[in-house]
Amino acid sequence: MFDDSFKRGAAEGFRAFLPLSVGLIPWAVVTGVAMRSIGLSPLEAMGMNLLVYAGTAQLGTLPLIAVGAPLWLLVLTALVLNLRFVIFSAALAPAFADASRPRRVFSSYLLVDGVFAVLSERLLRADDARWRWGCFLAPSLWCWLLWQIFTAVGVFGAGILPRDWSLEFMATIALMVMLVPMCATRPMLVAALVGGLATVFARGLPLKLGMIVGILAGIAAGFAAERWQGNSGRPA
Amino acid sequence: MSQGFWLWLTLAAIGSTTILTRGSFIIPGERARLPAPLQRALRYAPAAALAALVAPDVLLADGGFEPFNPKLAAAIVVILACTRFRNPWLPFIGGMAVLLLLRKGLGL
Repeated sequence: MFDDSFKRGAAEGFRAFLPLSVGLIPWAVVTGVAMRSIGLSPLEAMGMNLLVYAGTAQLGTLPLIAVGAPLWLLVLTALVLNLRFVIFSAALAPAFADASRPRRVFSSYLLVDGVFAVLSERLLRADDARWRWGCFLAPSLWCWLLWQIFTAVGVFGAGILPRDWSLEFMATIALMVMLVPMCATRPMLVAALVGGLATVFARGLPLKLGMIVGILAGIAAGFAAERWQGNSGRPA
Repeated sequence: MSQGFWLWLTLAAIGSTTILTRGSFIIPGERARLPAPLQRALRYAPAAALAALVAPDVLLADGGFEPFNPKLAAAIVVILACTRFRNPWLPFIGGMAVLLLLRKGLGL
């Protein structure tokens, strides 16, 4: 399994992903603190971290868990926040076509934005299945490890941090840190502005449905803006 | 907040969306494809969803629309930190510094 071509793939994947992975650290710590701040025990927080392993879905569902929102809304919210992975999964599927089913399931659990962003082209271009497996597995496991360690730092450090410092706002900052770079194209910016404002103005709807309405309005607005300005909205 | 068994069930249900979305095309392993217009529309889902989570927190105070509040000032600093600088810690440090300064320092 760990032959030369696996090792070469692993080295290349790891080297390419390493700089980006450092950016995960503040995130992971914040996610850890945020999970504790809504009242999850350390065990529950680390359990969520292992089961969900998706920072955005974790941070995004926490406020809803805190107010006791219904299960279907939690799942729907997590699904929407994870929807981008459907696109990544569709794009990356050919790179896993020759892998065994357990390997494909395990890889799916491990797939994160950063690895997709940095390595998808190389993974799709490579013919050698063992090289590809190394190139995906090494950075993905590194990311998983880094995430678990620094979330644990947040989870266990949260008790030391003072209560009245508005630290729950760190989760909102983390969401913005992901959102801002996405808005580099005009249709994406339109989707975000409409999605945010529509949610604010639809807040009177029961069961936090305003958020679903806002997201649908944002998607529609982004799609309309793209149509309206032709194809120039594609990232360069 | 739900407790015990129900909380764990909730967490597992949220977790199922991770594997469902990430595995949607990798696990079937066939050359399945999303219809192109749907795929294009779905690209806007993450941005719309993130904004839907952020906007109420920074634009509302006590359930009402309130454009002049410390969180919005902090959010503007976060956006500037994200767009002008590459340091991954800066948005957190800058945003929290502004929020705490306005809340603790000025009592807003």
